[in-house]
Amino acid sequence: MTVFLVDDEASVRKAVGRLLRSEGLDVAEYGSSEEFLAAYDPEAPGCLLLDMSMPGLSGLELQSALAARDCPLPITFLTGRADVPMCAEAMRRGAADFLTKPVNDVELIASIHRSLEKDRVTRQGRARVEEVQRLLANLTAREREVMNHVVSGQLNKQIAADLGIAEKTIKVHRGRVMEKMRVVSVAELVRLVEIAKG
Amino acid sequence: MSWVTVIWSMVVASCLTLAAVHGLVWWERRAKNHALFTLTAVVTALLAVIEFQMMRMQTPAGFATALLWLHVPAWILVLTLVVFMRTCFHAGREWLGWAACGVRTLSLVFNFTTGVNLNYQQVTGLKFLSFMGESVTTGVGPVNPLMVTGQLGLILLVVFLIDAAFTIYKRGDRRQSLIAVFIALCVLLATVQAALAFWFGLSIPITASIFYMSVVVAMGFEISGDVLRAAALSEELRESEQQMTLAAEAASLGIWVRDLDRKTIWATDKWRSLFGLDPETPLEFETILKRVHPDDRESVRKVLTTAIETKGSYELDYRLLLPDGAVRWISSRGRAVLNGAGKPHLVRGVSLDVTERKRAEAEAQLHRNEVTHLSRVAMLGELSGSLAHELNQPLTAILSNAQAAQRFLARPEIDRVELGEILHDIVEADRHAGEVIRSLRLLLKKGEVERQPLDVNEVVREVLKLMRSDLLNHHISVETDLGTDLPEILGDHVQLQQVLLNLVMNASDAMAGNELFNRQLHIGTFRNADGFLRISVRDKGLGIPPDRLDQVFESFYTTKPQGLGLGLAVCRSIVAAHHGRLSVENHPAGGAVFHFFLPIASANRYSGA
Repeated sequence: MTVFLVDDEASVRKAVGRLLRSEGLDVAEYGSSEEFLAAYDPEAPGCLLLDMSMPGLSGLELQSALAARDCPLPITFLTGRADVPMCAEAMRRGAADFLTKPVNDVELIASIHRSLEKDRVTRQGRARVEEVQRLLANLTAREREVMNHVVSGQLNKQIAADLGIAEKTIKVHRGRVMEKMRVVSVAELVRLVEIAKG
Repeated sequence: MSWVTVIWSMVVASCLTLAAVHGLVWWERRAKNHALFTLTAVVTALLAVIEFQMMRMQTPAGFATALLWLHVPAWILVLTLVVFMRTCFHAGREWLGWAACGVRTLSLVFNFTTGVNLNYQQVTGLKFLSFMGESVTTGVGPVNPLMVTGQLGLILLVVFLIDAAFTIYKRGDRRQSLIAVFIALCVLLATVQAALAFWFGLSIPITASIFYMSVVVAMGFEISGDVLRAAALSEELRESEQQMTLAAEAASLGIWVRDLDRKTIWATDKWRSLFGLDPETPLEFETILKRVHPDDRESVRKVLTTAIETKGSYELDYRLLLPDGAVRWISSRGRAVLNGAGKPHLVRGVSLDVTERKRAEAEAQLHRNEVTHLSRVAMLGELSGSLAHELNQPLTAILSNAQAAQRFLARPEIDRVELGEILHDIVEADRHAGEVIRSLRLLLKKGEVERQPLDVNEVVREVLKLMRSDLLNHHISVETDLGTDLPEILGDHVQLQQVLLNLVMNASDAMAGNELFNRQLHIGTFRNADGFLRISVRDKGLGIPPDRLDQVFESFYTTKPQGLGLGLAVCRSIVAAHHGRLSVENHPAGGAVFHFFLPIASANRYSGA
């Protein structure tokens, strides 16, 4: 987990980076939004600590750019001005937190920890979804059809009637679904489908 | 006394008087024409005396002798008339003049070598004629045939005179031409009279002196014009002198003249009262200099000495310290006057009391300083948010560094190197904050204007540093093109910052409506060929409507809802006080460009009082 720190003012960047490292955090520093974007790796977990006003892309603009790339990193803004409209805009776009300079260490570190936790959870969730989707991808069309009826709570007889297939055949498909999805109960299967739906 | 005696005496007297007057003029002015006139008048008087003697002669021998000598003045008169025509009227043919003089000289030779005189071979008797109720003498006897040469000479003279008159007439001077004709007429009459009396034995007396006196009067009339004109001129001069004195007094001008050869100084009463000197005090340069304020004394001495050395003029404002302790401002101008040898021998000058004007100027300066300061404070008010941000940065760095240090200290093992770096960074950040506060304090201070050598690039960098946050906030990117090796300028640091801040803020406002990617501010510094540095601030806004270009520097002209409209007016007055100029134009590629020109520092440019 890395704290990505973006601030154009070197002295501030250095001091805040140092404070976060004193907490044992892993910090990567960038002097501008562009520099960060160039080095951006979607797979790298962590959070973003972002200055608001910078030459080139401002903090808000970087936030938009990252949102367009579906970046999951939680963003904490750190700004010299407690500008309410700007803060509101940032929060509306999903910022994790909005802190003003000079920032108190406890407040900053707590916020960073929250963000990191949030990222961890988000990434875990994403990983689970991806796994389920991978499993779902192994099903044949017929198997998927049968599964959809199963999770909606229908009995084999009803499914057979709906699809116009023998009940026996339904049973075979159902067994394959449970095997491919690595579940033993219908309840488990229902949960997996829920996860896949997001 | 008889009429003849009266008239001839008067002729002699008036001729001699005229001779005396013009003799004096000749003596004073060394004027050749006056000498010639004096000679003519004296000779005419002599002619009259001899003629008068002749009329009173009682013996033929005496009459003959008188007539003999009469030809001497008569001869001289011919010569002087020819010379007079040639030198005073610049007319008459030279050969005719020579001919008249030559023939007349020949007749003078015959006068003394043939007969008893030019007119008679012999005077055998006397005839007494009645003239003006009186008996006058004339001679009887065989005439000298060579007398014809005398009359020929006179006829030649008349021809010479008429020809001269014609020349003068053609030249366009009617008066002089008339005088020449008149002289010719008089000579002709004298000639005719003599011819009638001697050749034809007509019983008339010879009155040549009367005719020649008329000639003298005519000559005198011409020649006195000069004298009369001079008199009129001197009258006019006196009049204009009086007028000048009056005007000088009305304008409170004190006039003085310093004679460098005699080391004396003359001054009007007004001048003395300006300097607090009573009319009796003898004036000396050093005593006058003591009246000058000690701070100005050397510069006054230097300027005056330079004016004399360079034979030039000067203009100077300086202060007097009067005995009562009052200070009086004097504006003085003067000029060295050269003598014939081209060396300065006089210095003339006028002095004027300008204390009131100086006081008003000082007050205006004070108001200007107030307005300048107010405008600066208002501007910093607009920038306050950004300036606070600028201070916030180092404060943030300090706090985070200090708290990081506290955390490092709480660890069991203390990293001294890390702590040392942290403390160093804290000091640096603090120093930066101090700089921001110092430049703010300077800008807010209502200080005296101080001129010092400045690097304009440094001023540009400082202003951009102060504006950094504001420009960022408005998404304005800054490009600079700062000239290298620029010479320094003399200026007030704070005021020049103020001008630049103002221009940058205006540029920033001008681009508020632009797309975010199109908000470039360009600042350049250049060295102009004319001894000026140029600082140009260019924006990419809409530019200034061409019909408003002249108005932007006027007070109370503004396009901003909250603007006072003083910023640019103040900027222009600041730049003017730096002997520079501020101008604006629209860039061909869009946007406005403000240029401000400042003279390159030179040692003597600001040394004026």
